[in-house]
Amino acid sequence: MAETSHLAIPARLEDIRQACDFVVEAAEQAGLGERAVYHCQMAVDEALTNIIEHGFAYSDDSSQIEIACRTEPDRFIVAIADSSPAFNPLLHESPDPSEPLDSREPGGWGIYFIRKLMDEVTYERAGGRNLLTLVKLIATARHAAASGGGEDAPVPVRVLDAQTAVISPAGRLDSNTSIYLEHALDAQLASGRTQLYVDLTAVEYIASNGLKVLIAAWRRARENGGDVVLSGLQPRLVEIFAMVGFDMLFQVFPDLDAALAARQARR
Amino acid sequence: MVMEISTSDMKRVQLFEVTGRVDSTNAAELGSAMDSSVDDGKTNLVLDLGGVEYMSSAGLREMVRVLKRVKRTGGDLRIANPSERVREVLELAGLDSIFEIFPTQVEAVGSF
Repeated sequence: MAETSHLAIPARLEDIRQACDFVVEAAEQAGLGERAVYHCQMAVDEALTNIIEHGFAYSDDSSQIEIACRTEPDRFIVAIADSSPAFNPLLHESPDPSEPLDSREPGGWGIYFIRKLMDEVTYERAGGRNLLTLVKLIATARHAAASGGGEDAPVPVRVLDAQTAVISPAGRLDSNTSIYLEHALDAQLASGRTQLYVDLTAVEYIASNGLKVLIAAWRRARENGGDVVLSGLQPRLVEIFAMVGFDMLFQVFPDLDAALAARQARR
Repeated sequence: MVMEISTSDMKRVQLFEVTGRVDSTNAAELGSAMDSSVDDGKTNLVLDLGGVEYMSSAGLREMVRVLKRVKRTGGDLRIANPSERVREVLELAGLDSIFEIFPTQVEAVGSF
């Protein structure tokens, strides 16, 4: 039941926008979530910008770029074909996100983003054309959108009573993984549990996305008469929390037992 | 939605409030708006991205270019209020450790 839709645009920067709209619509129809749709849009934008700026080098307004979107049961596929000189973006050396400002080139990030944002990227040269194929897995997106609290939730949740749950994320809480914590917290809040104990003992690193998830849940819990209580922060996290002022907002305990003991004492 | 930039001349800070889409068709416009402040010797810049619904790497490129420029003269370019999506993109490029990012415009402006 693969459905394919096609669009051809002139090789001009100002026509990328309509390709973005086209891909966004197809990605939404494929059932991708808002975040995954954004990723697809950006990957396509970056790919087309590269083709027009470098492939055609602004030289050839009459050239067309063809974009095809196809949905398969587990994946959303965007194929981009152009007749500019052969260029395999996958052989392009990626910039390093840890590069400090002094030595960093402002540009050159397009291909990096395409690879980061999509699940699979392949290139081939055939019939005098470059063919770039971008894949976003739907199963992953659906899973992220639907998960939280379920048996297969990536973030373990232990429900203590009608109001209380312990959530124990692990590893890194960054832009890729924070969504799982978000869904776990949201699922508990949605089922009326507003006293949430987030045990961070196994968390090595938290990026701004993770912080944002915690603050959003904290706000929602407080609005509903509950709280988000943290425990087990590693020294690096203590530092980060102090830096952004979270230590003033959240109740923080050295470990989960201490956090839960404080709850008993309050009763 | 097209990009719009509104510039406010504050006491110690130039504030740029951006709305809409920032992509390869208009990122240069954003860059030159900031450049003209720098040309006038105003190098403390705040870029409020609260109204930016979409930004491609072309926008990031201009931001990094202007940041490098103002840093050379003791200024800074600080970011306020990026959406969750824009923030994710900043993180992917490692820019969350290069730019100072504030949740609100008030905090970003007040940080100078």
